[in-house]
Amino acid sequence: MLEIKNLEKVYPNGHHALKNISFSVPQGEFLVVIGLSGSGKSTMLRCINRLHDPSGGEILFHGVDTSKLKGHALRKIRSEIGMIFQHFNLIPRKTVLENVLSGNLSRTGIFASIFGIHSAETRALAQKYIEIVGLKGKEKNRADNLSGGQQQRVSIARALMQNPKILLADEPVASLDPATSHSVMQYLKKVNEELGVTVICNLHFLSLVRQYAHRVVALKHGKLIYDGKPLEISEEWFKTIYGEDAVEVTIN
Amino acid sequence: MKQLVHKTPNKYVQSFKAYVLDTLSWAYMALIAYKVIYEKIIISERYPEFSWSQPLLSLYIGLAVAAVLFFTKLSLGRGLFGLIKYDENESPSSQPFAYIGYLLIALTFLTGFYVSEISMKEFLSDSGLEGAKRIFKALLHPNWGIFQEGLFAAIETIYMAFIATAIAIPIAFILGFFAARNLMNGTKLSFFLYNLLRAFLNISRSIEPLVWAIIFSVWVGIGPFSGMLALCIHSIASLTKQYSEQIESIDDGPIEAITATGAHPIQIVWFGVVPQIVLPYLSYTIYRWDINVRMATVIGLVGGGGIGNLLMQYQGQARWNEVGMLVILIAVIVWTMDWASSKLREALK
Repeated sequence: MLEIKNLEKVYPNGHHALKNISFSVPQGEFLVVIGLSGSGKSTMLRCINRLHDPSGGEILFHGVDTSKLKGHALRKIRSEIGMIFQHFNLIPRKTVLENVLSGNLSRTGIFASIFGIHSAETRALAQKYIEIVGLKGKEKNRADNLSGGQQQRVSIARALMQNPKILLADEPVASLDPATSHSVMQYLKKVNEELGVTVICNLHFLSLVRQYAHRVVALKHGKLIYDGKPLEISEEWFKTIYGEDAVEVTIN
Repeated sequence: MKQLVHKTPNKYVQSFKAYVLDTLSWAYMALIAYKVIYEKIIISERYPEFSWSQPLLSLYIGLAVAAVLFFTKLSLGRGLFGLIKYDENESPSSQPFAYIGYLLIALTFLTGFYVSEISMKEFLSDSGLEGAKRIFKALLHPNWGIFQEGLFAAIETIYMAFIATAIAIPIAFILGFFAARNLMNGTKLSFFLYNLLRAFLNISRSIEPLVWAIIFSVWVGIGPFSGMLALCIHSIASLTKQYSEQIESIDDGPIEAITATGAHPIQIVWFGVVPQIVLPYLSYTIYRWDINVRMATVIGLVGGGGIGNLLMQYQGQARWNEVGMLVILIAVIVWTMDWASSKLREALK
């Protein structure tokens, strides 16, 4: 469903973040991207939904090249791609419900959204997703008063509200404690298995990778250096990806 | 990823700057030595003559002295630019070049005393003290007969400040987005607009409201309207600057997240930017109203209406009892506004 061909990204300051990256993601896969900080993982995810503009190559989403889209067509594609972030990026001072409803902005008129007018079905849907991520009863709470793990679940519900075909997760557990990390990963797994949403997730911990990924790609200095099954990552590959001195850290 | 570039300062450029600084300091000292120490103190010249050849000559002296002392430890410029090596255990303030700095400060104090015509004799003279006694006595016995008149003028002032703030808010709110660097550096056109707006705001902010009031009192006539316009212009410029700085300091995360949902740019601003700026905006706005009430009083002095205008009239007629009444009213207003605005802003945090 998603095919990336010869993707290049050069920042205006000359930093060459992505070099000739090609891979494809079939429907329903849980793909994990690993690599050191600065290896280009975040940039790659952001190129897929065009938070960053690629400098070259193609990104085919259901056969449509997204890399040249503009205006309405771009917003349409973005609405089909959900995204969650390391720092959750919820709207401050707004309730959980308002945050989840913001996932539906692309299908709400500008004035309706500003005045908070939503149809009964939309509200019911938001309610449903809040229940799916286990936050029933917290709809009226201010989102920024919740714990980190709960905030990340709100952001998952917001992404689900878009009814996405694909979910991008940029280090979703990097600012959470180990127990909470597992809980958030479980929700992502649930979204992937029960709702059939394809997931592309950047991760740091190999223990999480082995547990949740169907397939792994690794980036190093902007190049794709590994594409395979999580259990096939040997000690040797590990040292190639993370450097000679790296020691594996596990979280349970 | 942004990378910090550390420029290594060019030694020759630094030396040149140091020499310019040395020249200017010595020229300044030479000029003061002549105009203040010699003319004013030593020969007590009453009407000293000034000609442009004096500062010019000082500059030549400065150039010469700076050249002679440049490679000694007395070069202030080289000291400040770190070109003089000294024991690291010693503090820079005890180095020889620092004493040149102290000398500069001392000479500036001395000149300040002469320019301000500070005179204990005048301050403590019999007739002067008599006058002060008279005016304080009058001020302490305010004429309550004009209380009503003063109160109405004060109300005029407060409403004038309120309307000026209220009109400025929507204009500044919209301009604030266009004056925020992080929203405007996308394209060349928008960045040009940003720079144009910034320049315009800086110019209108650097003209004091007092001057605006004079301009508008000629334009629309003396009265509250001209004062209101003056405050309005100043408020728009100040609020736009504060609003745009607030926008510049927001977290990009929510903007990214809302963009990723496929939202329209207007929705991105409304949901990604606005919730982050509402409270600081309110706080700035209340503070601006508070400032405007105080400024409205001053603006009244030049014909901007309100209590300031009344104060000017009574002061002109030397009716100090009435002035005393107005001073009390102004103090009460300023104190109340100050208290209310700080309480409100505290509650908003």
